[in-house]
Parts: sequence; C-alpha cells; structure tokens
Amino acid sequence: MSASFPSSRRQFLARSAAGLGLGAAALRSQLTLAAALNDGHPLAPKPTHFPPKAKNLIVFFMTGGMSHVDTFDHKPKLNTDAGKKYGSSKIKASQFEFKRYGQSGRMVSELFANVGDVIDEFCLIHSSFNESGGHSAATLGMHTGSITIPLPSLGSWVSQGLGTFNTNLPSFVVFAAKEPYNAYQCWDSNFLPGYHTGVRVIPGPDPIPNLNSPVASVSRRDLERLMLRDLNEEHLKAHPSDVQLRTRITNFNTAYGLMREAPEAFDISGESDAALKLYGVDRDDRKSFGWQCMAARRLIERGVRVVELFDVGSNSNWDAHGDIETHRGLARKIDQPIAALVKDLKQRGMLEDTLIVGCSEFGRTPWEDKNPKGRGHHAAVFTTFLAGGGATRGLSYGASDEYGARIAENPVHVNDFHATILHLLGLDHLALTYRYSGRDFRLTNLGGNVIKEITG
Amino acid sequence: MAVAPLAMAETTAPDPDAGRHWAFQPVREVSLPAAADALSAHPIDRFIRARQREAGLVPVAAADRRALIRRASFDLTGLPPTPEQVRRFEADTRPNAFAELIDELLASPRYGERWGRHWLDLARYADTAGENSDYPIPQAHLYRDYVIDSFNADKPYDVFLREQIAGDIIARAGAPENYAERVIATGFLAQAKRFGTRDLEDMHLIIEDTLDTIGKVTMGLVMRCARCHDHKYDPTTMKDYYALYGFFQSAGYPYPGGESDRVQKYFAPLEHPDVLARRDKEYFSGKQPEIDRLKAELKAAKPKGDKAVKAVQAKLDAINAGSPGRRVPVAYAMHEGKAADAYIQKLGNPRSKGDLVHRGVPSFLDADAHLDIPEGASGRLQFAEWLTHPENPLTARVMVNRIWQHHFGKPIVATPSDFGIQGAKPTHPELLDWLAKRFIESGWSVKAMHRLILSSKTWQIASAHDATNEAKDSANAHYWKFDRRRLDAELIRDSMLLLGGNLDLSRPGPHPFPPADKWRFSAHRQFKAVYPSNHRSVYLMVQRLHPHPFISVFNGPDTSATTAMRDQSTVPQQALFMSNSKQVEQQAEGFAKELAAAEPDTLKRLRLAYWRAFSREPNERELERALEFLARYAELAAAENVPEAQREPQAWAALARTMLTSNEFVFVD
Repeated sequence: MSASFPSSRRQFLARSAAGLGLGAAALRSQLTLAAALNDGHPLAPKPTHFPPKAKNLIVFFMTGGMSHVDTFDHKPKLNTDAGKKYGSSKIKASQFEFKRYGQSGRMVSELFANVGDVIDEFCLIHSSFNESGGHSAATLGMHTGSITIPLPSLGSWVSQGLGTFNTNLPSFVVFAAKEPYNAYQCWDSNFLPGYHTGVRVIPGPDPIPNLNSPVASVSRRDLERLMLRDLNEEHLKAHPSDVQLRTRITNFNTAYGLMREAPEAFDISGESDAALKLYGVDRDDRKSFGWQCMAARRLIERGVRVVELFDVGSNSNWDAHGDIETHRGLARKIDQPIAALVKDLKQRGMLEDTLIVGCSEFGRTPWEDKNPKGRGHHAAVFTTFLAGGGATRGLSYGASDEYGARIAENPVHVNDFHATILHLLGLDHLALTYRYSGRDFRLTNLGGNVIKEITG
Repeated sequence: MAVAPLAMAETTAPDPDAGRHWAFQPVREVSLPAAADALSAHPIDRFIRARQREAGLVPVAAADRRALIRRASFDLTGLPPTPEQVRRFEADTRPNAFAELIDELLASPRYGERWGRHWLDLARYADTAGENSDYPIPQAHLYRDYVIDSFNADKPYDVFLREQIAGDIIARAGAPENYAERVIATGFLAQAKRFGTRDLEDMHLIIEDTLDTIGKVTMGLVMRCARCHDHKYDPTTMKDYYALYGFFQSAGYPYPGGESDRVQKYFAPLEHPDVLARRDKEYFSGKQPEIDRLKAELKAAKPKGDKAVKAVQAKLDAINAGSPGRRVPVAYAMHEGKAADAYIQKLGNPRSKGDLVHRGVPSFLDADAHLDIPEGASGRLQFAEWLTHPENPLTARVMVNRIWQHHFGKPIVATPSDFGIQGAKPTHPELLDWLAKRFIESGWSVKAMHRLILSSKTWQIASAHDATNEAKDSANAHYWKFDRRRLDAELIRDSMLLLGGNLDLSRPGPHPFPPADKWRFSAHRQFKAVYPSNHRSVYLMVQRLHPHPFISVFNGPDTSATTAMRDQSTVPQQALFMSNSKQVEQQAEGFAKELAAAEPDTLKRLRLAYWRAFSREPNERELERALEFLARYAELAAAENVPEAQREPQAWAALARTMLTSNEFVFVD
C-alpha cells in the first residue's frame, strides 16, 4: 500500500492515538456535550402540569386475560354455588385457596402468595371493564384507549408529556419475549414523533437489535468511529448551520452511549446476593421474568421514564379456555418477581416515585367455558392494580357482584384508568394533547375521570 | 360500541364562512408576476422571486452540476448517479443537457419505483390485511406493480384516480386486454384495513377507512369526524358523509381470510366476464359428451355413497375445477355489490339508524351536483368522474402540492392531506393555482409537472448557507436555498445495496408466503415474516401488524393508515443499525470488494470510492486521511493477529462502512 503523506500521517496517528488512548474518557466528554445540548433535545425532561406523585412508570401486562376470581377478587359464592346454572353455563368454583394478607386484611389467592405479602402497598381496582371481549381489540384498548383504530400508546404519551432523564437511553422500554396481541401497536407512538415509541427488549442474549458491534476489537472499532467522526465533521464544516447534520452526529453518540450503558443496565451480575435471592434469579440470568423485573429497576435507576413488561405474549398465555390450572404455572413465574420489585423499590426509597400498574385485557368468566375446566373471556368486570407512586396504599376500589360477573359499584373504564395514571405522574389527561389531522387528540379520547380516591 | 373512538373534540363553533374557504373555490387562472430580474425567467421563479423580493431575500447561487445530478437522480429514481453519468453531465455544457438528463431519468423504470412508493404511502399499501392475525394477501402485489407501472407510463392522473376508484366498472365497458389492469387498480379501495376475525367483520369500519383514505388522498378532506357528527370546522356534514358512504356500501370488497373464516372470498377474476363466459362455453362444449356420460353413470349408480360413485363425482368435479372460470387468476380488488343508499349511523353506531341519504357528493363543494347513476349501479364511476372533473377545486391542487412536496421536501400547503379549514394555508397560493391549471392543461401528466418544476431555478438552487437570508427566513419558507434532505428508508437501503454490488433491479414475483392451505393464523399465532431480498425496497413484503425491521426504524410509512408525510425523527436505533447491523456490514464488505475488483491501485481505488459514494473527487486532505486510516487499521489488525491476507480487505470494509454511514452519503444537497 502506498503511504505518500508522511507528515500528515504522523498527525493523524497522533490524533487517533489520542482517541484510542482516551477511549472511554473521550466518549464521556462527548456525552457531556450531548447532555449540554439536552436543552434542545426532544426528549429532555419537561415540566409537569402540577406537582407529580410519581416520576416513573412500570406497567405489567398479563396477556390473554388473567382470571380476577382466581387471583385478587375473592368470590366464596363461586365455591358454595359451584355447578349451579348461570345463564347457559354453570358456575365454576375457584380451585385456588385464598387467604388474608397484611394489615389491610385483603384476600389474595395462593397464586400470588408473594404479592400477598406486600399487598398493603397495593391499590386494587375490582371494577375495571373493557369495551371488547376480543383479545386484539381489548389489548389495543388497554394500551391506547381505542379498541379499533391504532393510536399512540400510554408509554409514548407519557414520554411525550414528560420527556426522560437520560437521553443515552430510550424514554420508554418494553420487555416482550413474544409479541402480544396487536404486536408493536401496544408500544407504538403512532402520530406522536417516533422517538416516543417504546424500544422493545427481547429477554435473552441479544436484548436490543444491533447493540453489539460486529467488530470485536475495541481499538479498531474506536478507529472506525474516529474516521466517521472526521468525515462528518469535515462535511459539517462546509454546512455549519445545518442542524440536521449536527443532530445525526449527536445521534451516533447517543447510540454509542446506548451501546455502553444498555449492556451494563441489563447485566445483573454485580447485584448483591440478597437482591438476587429476592427476585429468585441467578447471577448469570438474562431472561427470566425475575431478571426482567430487576432490569426494569436498573433502567429506572438509570433514567428511563417508562418500562412495560409483557408477561408471555399472544400464545400459551393466560387465556385459560382449556384449563384454569394453567394459571398456576404462569403465576409461579411472575408472583415472586413482582413482589420482589415492590420490596426492592421500597428498600431503595424508590417506590414513592415509581408507579407500578398491572392489568390484563380482561378477566375470566366466573362460569365454565365450553371445556368445564376452563374459563372464558370476561370484559364486563375484572381487577387491575396500582402500587407505589402515590397510589393509595391498601385501598380496594370498586367492587364486582357476588360472583365477580358484573360491576357492583364504581365502574372504571380504561380512559379512567389512564387518566388516573397520568394524574399520578403530574399530567392532566385533558391537557396532554397532540394536534394531528386537524384535531387535538388525547390518550383518554372523549372520556376519562381521575379516580380521586386513588390519587389521594 | 359505546364510545365513538375518533369523534372530534368539542371546541369551537363551526365557521359560518366555511363555504368561502379558499380551497373550496374554483382554481383561478392567475397571471404571472412580472419578470423582475434575471432570476425570474421561469414562471415558477417569478412567483417565488416576487415573494422573495417582498421579504428582502436574495437566493443563493445555482447548485453545481455534481449536486444537481445527484439531487435529480435521487429525486426521480431513488438511486445515486454512477460516476460515468456524473462525469458525462459535468462535461456536457449544451443548454439542453439538463433537460435531457431529466428525460433520461424519467424514462428509467427506476422512476416508477421511486414515485410509485410515494403513492403507496398514501394508499396505505400492505401485503397483509391488518385484522387480528394479519392475514397475508398474496395477490396484493398486483396493485403495487400497477401503481409503479402507471407512474412509469405517465398515466394521466385523472385516469389513474378513476381506475383506482371504479376500475372494475370501467373495465367491463372497455377492451378485454385492459380488463385486468383496471380491476387491479381498485386494490386502492380493497386495501382498506380489516378488523376482527370473521368475513368482512365491522363493515362500517372498512368503509370508514376507505372514505378516510379517499378523502385525504384525493381531495385533502378529513371526513372521519363526520361519521359521528357534523364536522366541527369543515362544512362536511353527516349527510355528506353517508352520501359518500352509499357508494362504497354498494360495492363488494374482497375478504382476505381471517381467524374464524380462513378462506379468501370475493376476489376479482382478472378476465372480462364476456371472455370468460365464452371460454367456459368452449371448454364445456368440448367436454359435454363426457359430462353427459358421467352424469348418466351417477344417476344409474346404486347405492349412493359407494366408492365407485365417489370416483365418478370426483371426475365431474375435476372437470368443473379445470374450467377457465375457476382457474382464472384473481386480484385483491373490488366488484359491484347491491346498490343502495345508506342510512345515517347515529353517533357512528351502525345499529342506530337515522335518515336515509341519497348517494352523492358533498354539497359544500358542488351544490348543484347531480350524478347520473344508472339503475342498479353503485355510482362509484360517477363519483370518480365528478372527482376528476377539471372543475373540481381540490383534486388538481392536492396532487400538484404533493408533487411539489416530494421535489422540495416541503409542500406549498403544509398539511398535504388536509385542505380544510383546520389545514394550513398555502405559502404561495397563486403558484399553487397556477400549477394546478398547468397540470390539468397538460392532460394531468405527472411527468410534465416534474419537467416544469425541475427546470426552474428555484429547484436548481444550491443548498448553501447564507447568514443574511437565514436571519430573515430561517425556515427557508421562501426557497432562497435548497433544503438538504436525508434519504428515505428505501433510498438508504437501495443505495447501500447498489454500492455493495448486490442490488437486484429486476421485479420480483409474488412473495414466498406459505401455501394458503397451511394458513392457521390467529390472534395467538399471527402471521409474521421478513423475507430476505436484494430487490429494491418498494418490493419488500409489507405487513400491517409487523413493521419491516429496517423500513420502520428509518421512519417508514404507517402501514395501517394513509401517510402524507413521513416522520423525520432521529432515533438511536438508526445509528445502531448503521454502526452494527449485519446488513450494513455486508454492503460495506461488498462495496470494498467491488472497489478492489475495479481498481488495484490504492489511490485510484480511493478516488473511485469517493466517486461512487459521493459523486465527487476527494481532496488531498481526504485522501491522506483515508490512507492513514487504512494503514493504521491494518497495523492494529496485525497487532491483533489477524491473518495478513485479511487485513487489507478488513481495513477497506471498515472504510467503506464509514462512507456508507456518513452524513454526506445519507443527505442530499
């Protein structure tokens, strides 16, 4: 190879050596620069509408329809009246044992014994309902407020309303081992700008696509980055006023930040033995629901605004038509981790700032499905929950009737649920609007009442 | 449904002057502003220059020839020019050199692939249905190819629209050789999103999507609100909405299959019914003796249900199945249904009937409109004719605004699918009307509009910075410079494949979907696939429910709703893809290999790399830096025990990647 420019070669080598030698430090200074530019960053934190109770949001979504009457909505009459006619079907007893937990003395089934231990932290809504009893429509409804046309998701609205704390990481991260019903529409930003879209993490060795460089050698990778930066800066010199060019350069730095910070955030090997035991995970775990919950906490600690965790996906999930006993195995995987997250956040003083919510797209019928071992879809009433983030501790809000078949008091529409979540985050659901296609849209469409008993 | 999900927010009272809104007035014949100076010889420049003078702005210099050919090439074909094309154009000083270049680019089949894609964004094109399991539609690509071919053929825009709305009706009256094309065109309507799990479930939402798309795409009218109540801002009433609704309620939509009913239904045969009837007649007349014999055998056979009887029946079935009518290819397209006016659906609820509304067009646009709908016909054809009538105030304006948008990166009306009261006002209203008139005069020729716009100085100006202008008009609303633009997703991918030596310019056949008899898709097991391809991105399989992993990261269109303008937001996943993805790595390696094969000498090879990637000669400083990079990279590789034979190729591949991911590559001046 000809090397015809010895003098400049020395300069270049000197510069690349500096770049190589400094490595992480150079990156850090770039990040400082990125941070300095944060004022103009579209995801920079924004003021709330009023003082918030919570700063962060963690959502648990149990796909397929988790039975309310077998988990958090105890209906002893199902067992006393088991086998009696109900419409064209027969009342089905719950085969799971319930017992009283905590100072609030609320009944929780054996499926969620660990959550039962921290039930005093929870606010349970026993009167949630959905407008559709179909998985896809109902899942879309729980995420966007619309059961038909896809609209921006809850997480993307929160990102739009609040921005985020660390622009090296996405504002909204979604753990989804398998795709849920309606797939990406559950975390899509739709007409909101694309940077509010949830970034999907696939639990396992490759959690975010393209996070790892194909070049194994750090020094060659850094050299290549330096070369790219040189090309771009040279180009920028000719067009100094072009913000787009500058933004794209910053964006590469953000990606390098993500490459450095995300693996560290996902790596739980430095966690204490006690913490690992709490979540029930091994040090090298990269996949289990316990790992996901721990990683969710680590992401929140590192400045991510919203994390959503999908339990399972659109199949082999909570959709227990065939046998409600399948709930046992599913619950075993998430009960301890959810309880651990609540305890862990509390120990770290993070629970008061972090709102945890959990739901399914609907509950399950108090009567037998076609297969008498199973239960069908039940959107007329089901249970959802909140914990931390200023949601009223120990509250049981609303009620279903004696069979858990219909709402007995205080119906909670998904718009109300969303309005309440936004309120705890310091956002007025009526004021969080976005103009699109000639009108102001909001997450709660034409509805939504904040449930004052929950927001305190 | 208890809540109408997309009803309008109650805010202000309707504007009593809504009927006088500019966009609803006839297109005016405007006289050209005076040619004030040498910068305003071209009619477009006169409109632009007149406003620049008022604002005290002086446009920057013309773009150099290298920038010009690169801009034109990406704009019209979506691909960079070859070094040979650039050199030839730079050397060609004849006055008509640029016009010839434009003709050459417009004549390339690559043109339709680029401009067809703009239309496919509007048509919310997808190869799947978007219901709960996202059923594949293997025939959908026929419509995609129709769009590409129509742009390449410069099909007059009015014809293009009429075919897409009523092509099946036009086809019956026309020549059999045009039958298939015209039927396929109605894929525009058939593409409406599907819902639920059953045969054409929620028909009112399918029609809603149809009306939403037609209204926004062709006339810039947002009509969705009027489904549930009179429009709060625009004069569109529920009566207007359900008058239009009747046209599509009277049409037959294809059913792509779904979770509860898996079989395709009502797809459109691609042969004229008369021809098909004749061919069927011929077919069956030849087989008549055999059919008679088999039928007689069946009649005589006892007992019924016997094995031998079954065999006879199977033979008869096979004859029927082999008939031209049963074997004709089909399209995901429309047919005429049962003609009927629609009832108003109170609050958008199809079960809550209001008054019956005669099929017709919005009264605020055409108070005296009387559509002559033949007995038993849906009226779609009459609607399409009304829509494309030269006196329709919206159709031409909306389309020239879109053409302008794609040439300049911004439209004259900033809300290209909303020309209503809530939409933006045109920045250059006279220019918009002047262009609309020329468009109609040209016979609705889209290519004529390209030639007109690209021949202006306004389009040929440099993308240079100017501090004085910047201070007065930082948004460049007055076109004092050309706005530098980032390549669209498709352009990034296609250009990388091209430089990597891997771009396949042929048109692929149908997507490799699994065979239809294997489909068991449901909400629980949605159809999901990404088919590897080296074809141009317009030919990638598009799913409604599962966005393409590359196209979606780079702000591709919404595949569930009409997209007028793509989001341009920058997300870190883009940089991750550029830096780390297998795809970019492969193209970088391919680029390095192509360069090595073409040029053994290092310096010459570097020059070639710059020409291919950036259409220009590198300066000395850039050469020095690249050489140093190569040397340093090889040294590091040596120190890290990379075998000697791999060091240089790896260094070149790394250099190639920096070029492919650089700002100069992904932004067009």
